[in-house]
Amino acid sequence: MPLAKSSFLKKRAKGLVWVASILFSVALVVVPVYLLVKYSVSDSGSINTGGAPIPLWPYAPTLRSFTYLFTESQFYGVIVNSIIIALATVFCSMLLGVPAAYVLGRYRVPFRRTMLLGLISVRLFPDISSVIPITEFFIRFGLQNSYLGAVLGHTLLALPYVIFIGMSAFESIPSDLEQQAQVMGAGGFTIFFKILLPLSIPGLIAAAIYTFLLSWDEFIFSYFLLGLGKISTLTLFLRQKLAYAPPQNLLAAISVFISVPVIAFSLALQKYMTAGYTSGSVK
Amino acid sequence: MLRAWFNRQGKTIKQIWPLLPAAAYLLGFLVIVCAYLIGLTFSTETSPGHFLFPSMHTLSTIFTGKQFSKALINTVAFVLVGTPLEIVSGFFLAIILYNSFKFRSIIRGLFLIPLALPALVTATLLFILFDFPGGHINHLLMGKYAVFPQVISHPIDWRGSRFFALGISLLGKAWRDAPISMLILLSGLNAIDPEILDAAKTMGAGLRRRIWHVILPLMIPSLSAVLLLRSIEMWKEFIFPFILAGKYGLLGTLIESLYNDWGNSNQAAAVALILVLCIVFSTLLFLWVMEILKKKVLKV
Repeated sequence: MPLAKSSFLKKRAKGLVWVASILFSVALVVVPVYLLVKYSVSDSGSINTGGAPIPLWPYAPTLRSFTYLFTESQFYGVIVNSIIIALATVFCSMLLGVPAAYVLGRYRVPFRRTMLLGLISVRLFPDISSVIPITEFFIRFGLQNSYLGAVLGHTLLALPYVIFIGMSAFESIPSDLEQQAQVMGAGGFTIFFKILLPLSIPGLIAAAIYTFLLSWDEFIFSYFLLGLGKISTLTLFLRQKLAYAPPQNLLAAISVFISVPVIAFSLALQKYMTAGYTSGSVK
Repeated sequence: MLRAWFNRQGKTIKQIWPLLPAAAYLLGFLVIVCAYLIGLTFSTETSPGHFLFPSMHTLSTIFTGKQFSKALINTVAFVLVGTPLEIVSGFFLAIILYNSFKFRSIIRGLFLIPLALPALVTATLLFILFDFPGGHINHLLMGKYAVFPQVISHPIDWRGSRFFALGISLLGKAWRDAPISMLILLSGLNAIDPEILDAAKTMGAGLRRRIWHVILPLMIPSLSAVLLLRSIEMWKEFIFPFILAGKYGLLGTLIESLYNDWGNSNQAAAVALILVLCIVFSTLLFLWVMEILKKKVLKV
């Protein structure tokens, strides 16, 4: 009987350690994110407490930091710039990346592995190492501090991902479909636009969303290619504010504004990626 | 025969032409990056607008400067401490998710949140939390909250010392990137045959023994992949030390400082090239050590 009791207690203790580990890990992840949101809705009295402990929930929660951001004329321009650059990056990356992904995903290209290595090799450099030569090159051609320069830089970062995501989307389409279409007399363009492209849409949308997010929260290339000049993006705006040590609730509000679409789209993207690309295409 | 060869080549070109614009774009930038890195590193400005190439002057100036050696030591320490920290935290999370329990998929989703936060936002969050003299962390360690005992009597200026500034940069990096290690290690864990673990359990091996003698040896491929990938990422790190460590920088922040603060593109490019070489060298060293270890394990 005592043996059974000690075994029960041991099992119970193990269970408690297990639950404590899970709670600890969840707290480690969730608490910082909660604090970021908390700071973004904090009133100034909840931040400058004069030595008293900073409250775990603001004394008087307010959206004043967000409304202040939107009264700043510069902020609208920054959002518009971020959207313009991100959309243009999506356009350029898809324009270049989708045909490349199609070829690599559907044909037996000679030296395929070497070619893939070549395509991603520029991304193997640390961003901080590759951005210096690119900035120097863009200065020479008058592309620094321009939308075009930022878009070209961001496209360079996103293109390998578009090619790889798109490649797996095209690869997953059964070759039977293409062969059947060929037998029925369809040409290369018809097969691509009427069969392969519609079937690979979920994967390509995932690539487009990923590219948008990459450009939306990109910092290093934007910082060097745009500097802190006329054209500013959200990340540069946040960096600019950090340099002047503004109220913490304002920093948190900008951070939340940048993060919300990224977190929301990341969850949506995860759903998209898991959806079968070819479900229902072959019966 | 020649005609057949030309026909084959023509067919190949017809098939692969849509790949060419993307290839030209990426390879073109690769050439630009390499050419400018080498060109700037091995040239020096003799008079305004006049450059001498080739010249070792830029490199010798960097190697004799104290800034570079400090940044290199900081970076090596960052890699040596940060890589195991990320792997241990990723392994801890992976072990939790390896077991089946209620709300597992929700917990998995929560563990992935740091990955969805932009690095600049995470750095800003730490900037706020580790504020001096206020800030949640100082208040927590000073025992101002009932849930935690007093550890310090005076607030710490986290960003004011090399140790703490790089420490919080490391924490931020590990916090944000641990889910990546977790995902790779979890796939390694899932690849282990459950029958092997059951056999070990039946033979009386406890959790610790199973981890040390069964799980870890079987996970060597995924562990080495994480070790390699994460160490490369640690070398590359820029945003966390840039926001949090200020003057106690790494090679990445030294590049930024040389380029933007000092306007010295030659020295910035030289440090950038050295950073690339450090990554290549450490990767080769890692692969060599892994090869030796593999041979030893096979012998045993």
